[in-house]
Amino acid sequence: MENWHTYLTGASKERQQERRGRWLTSLALLVIGALVVTILLFLIAKGVRLFTTGEGKLTEFFFSPTWAPGAGVFGAAPMIVTSLIVTVVAGLIGLPFALAVALAVTEILPPVAKKLLQPVIELLVGIPSVVYGLVGLTVIVPAVRQLVGGTGFGLVAAVGVLYLMIMPTMTSMAIEALQAVPKQQRQASAGLGATRWQTIHRVVLPAARGGILTAMIFGMARAFGEALAVQMVIGNAAIMPTSLQSSAATLTSVLTTGMGNTIMGTAANDALWALALVLLAMSLLFNLGMRLVTKKG
Amino acid sequence: MNEIALAVQNVAVAYGEKPVVTDVNMEFPAHQITALIGASGSGKSTLLRSLNRMNDEIATVTGQINFHGVDINRPETNVYRVRQQIGMVFQQPTPFPMSIYENVIYGLRLRGEKDRTVLDQRVEASLKQAALWEEVKDRLQTSAQALSGGQQQRLCIARTLATQPEIILMDEPTSALDPISTNQIEATLAQLKEQFTIIIVTHNMQQASRISDWTAYFEQGKLVEFKPTDQLFMNPSEQRTADYLSGKFG
Amino acid sequence: MQKAEKQDRLATGLILGLAGIAALIVISLVAYLLITGLPHVSWHFLTSSASAFTSGGGIFDQLFNSFYLVILTLAVAVPLALGAAIYLSEYAPQNGWTNALRLAIEVLSSLPSIVIGLFGYLVFVLRWGLDFSLLAGALALTIINLPLLTRACETALQQVPALQRQAGLGLGMPKWQVTLKIVLPQALPGILTGAILSAGRIFGEAAALIYTAGQSTVNVDYTNWNPFAPTSFLNPMRPAETLAVHIWKVNTEGLIPDAAAVSSGAAAVLILTILIFNLSARGLGNYLARRLRK
Ligand SMILES: Nc1ncnc2c1ncn2[C@@H]1O[C@H](COP(=O)(O)OP(=O)(O)O)[C@@H](O)[C@H]1O
Ligand SMILES: [Mg+2]
Repeated sequence: MENWHTYLTGASKERQQERRGRWLTSLALLVIGALVVTILLFLIAKGVRLFTTGEGKLTEFFFSPTWAPGAGVFGAAPMIVTSLIVTVVAGLIGLPFALAVALAVTEILPPVAKKLLQPVIELLVGIPSVVYGLVGLTVIVPAVRQLVGGTGFGLVAAVGVLYLMIMPTMTSMAIEALQAVPKQQRQASAGLGATRWQTIHRVVLPAARGGILTAMIFGMARAFGEALAVQMVIGNAAIMPTSLQSSAATLTSVLTTGMGNTIMGTAANDALWALALVLLAMSLLFNLGMRLVTKKG
Repeated sequence: MNEIALAVQNVAVAYGEKPVVTDVNMEFPAHQITALIGASGSGKSTLLRSLNRMNDEIATVTGQINFHGVDINRPETNVYRVRQQIGMVFQQPTPFPMSIYENVIYGLRLRGEKDRTVLDQRVEASLKQAALWEEVKDRLQTSAQALSGGQQQRLCIARTLATQPEIILMDEPTSALDPISTNQIEATLAQLKEQFTIIIVTHNMQQASRISDWTAYFEQGKLVEFKPTDQLFMNPSEQRTADYLSGKFG
Repeated sequence: MQKAEKQDRLATGLILGLAGIAALIVISLVAYLLITGLPHVSWHFLTSSASAFTSGGGIFDQLFNSFYLVILTLAVAVPLALGAAIYLSEYAPQNGWTNALRLAIEVLSSLPSIVIGLFGYLVFVLRWGLDFSLLAGALALTIINLPLLTRACETALQQVPALQRQAGLGLGMPKWQVTLKIVLPQALPGILTGAILSAGRIFGEAAALIYTAGQSTVNVDYTNWNPFAPTSFLNPMRPAETLAVHIWKVNTEGLIPDAAAVSSGAAAVLILTILIFNLSARGLGNYLARRLRK
């Protein structure tokens, strides 16, 4: 090696490869980042048009109970309220069941139960939401009709479908949360003479509280954003619900049915994009809630 | 005095704000084994990793590291070529999940060597130098991860030898191994210094005295004493070195 | 003491009772879907086209479209997600930019698929003029799957021991080579598992597709292998109704008299396919991991 300086500081194939690799992968990440920014910008730009053109007013949008795009009245309150009701009720009913299964599997039943159940839960998590919608349409709606009367379509059926849909996800996340509690803590508690329930109640559940709450919020976020399954069973009447039997419409179901029937640029279409923006904002809020809960632990 | 393979001037290393090695000056003689000893946490590995730029992105290294008259601790240095000339063997054996043969010629292949006879020759020569050839010559195509820990470590040495570096850095290469494997590797090192310059970190003083020509003693990130091994062990000039050697710590 | 034990028995009973009810609901759900669906699944059902107004139609086109969409989506999503994951796992410095990009991926994962579908409609279908097409659908599904895929790839890369990377770097390899030749092969089982699970999600997605890939299938020619020909089954520019969208559509439009039979049959096929995806993800992951260790 005559000229060490050139050799040790000069260009080489490796340097080129390294530069190219770094460039290529950072490009992929930047594309994703740019995509997210674009999505947010587009949806915000479209979403505020209703108000910037003067066709709709913010107060009317959030507080008026009348959604009559044909007549130029854009009150989104019925959909916002309905979306929140079905989500919260499904989450509240789902949680005890999800928690019970998770506790049974991690604390009570022998390990073989978990081995058997895990693939089943995985499959249920993977079942597409239209299939849950189909079950709603063919089982839940007729059942509601029998039991409660009316058409069967409406809030109850929507809650039923969403409950079925989010339970598997909530269960599997609750199992993870419970399993993250160290074994030693349980043994220590049992060693002090605590019964199983006392251990669960005083040690395991408090330690897993953050994870369980996250599971619930995650399930509710999914329910809030679900479109087709809800649209199939809720009856699609954009009115403020008066009882649990009444037909109603969520943000997502109105978007699903409406977007194809309105013309771009019209006030009726802009109103739909405003609903989409509300949906987007709510999803981000759910995500924020989950982050806060996880951070607190 | 010997020829100098690597000269370190005013080298200091810090992890973030925390200085770990301070003001080290030393010259590593060529074709010799130099041992770096000192209590755990005294910065031996940190210094060693700086010598072939393995601390890039992990720590800030200042000062000069001269190799063939070139300061390789500068931003314009081609670190890949530096590491090809100054190879490294780690504490834990790290065979790649592929055959023994492929492991040995890994570096060569990436540099574009395709000639089968060259590759075959290099595999045999490197494995012989690492004293592993007899044990594996009949199963070169089997997985390297099926070898014993000692064999794996010798394979990693062979893998480094196959790239034909000038200097080999070793960070406690035997501390994860049993005594028999340790003996085999120590015997191997004695052979290797004909061809390579070896810098080895060890926390085992007996090992340093058995295998090295030169020994450097470190304490809290500072080079305390650097001498031919027999002089350092028989006749340390620093009280701190003497205390460490006789087991009186702190 | 007595009281605590009583409480324990009561609570255990309650938990097991609730869990039992949940299990019963779930088991009857799956059983119901299979019992009502499977009788309708015949060779004829799988291999003939859907009919518009009469009964007796099949699901061949929808089934093909679903699989083709899986392939198209993964072809775009996997390279993108893997690239981003490699950057995040191997190169990304610890700074604000990296955190912002991680946050962006997190935000993306929280968007409902109908919202992504509407974005796709706005941008891919209308603005880019792709019309209702497989390509527009694939792009929308790519967006939906990027967060999960990226996370799966990053986790798989992170599971490769740091020592393997060190060894590669110590031989003078650039990080890019270390990543491609040493890290990636060992991360492959995890990456493949993630991709297959994504495939299952793509297969069942409907909300993001009704306004991107469309709700109709034009007559396609399954003998024309030229993807640029307008009638070719491989043409990514044609509108394509998938199996999941089909289930939704026959039930909301109700134009065919045997909607219930067709949709329950289609649902059974959907579930079985996803079951196969799940099982093969698990099986392939295990197989590759074992082969790597050998
Ligand atoms: N990657 C790192 N980041 C921060 N501190 C480190 C890192 N590696 C080592 N250190 C610290 O640097 C000091 C010296 O470590 P090291 O060089 O490994 O010592 P030795 O090899 O002599 O045992 C120790 O205090 C150790 O905790
Ligand atoms: Mg060390």
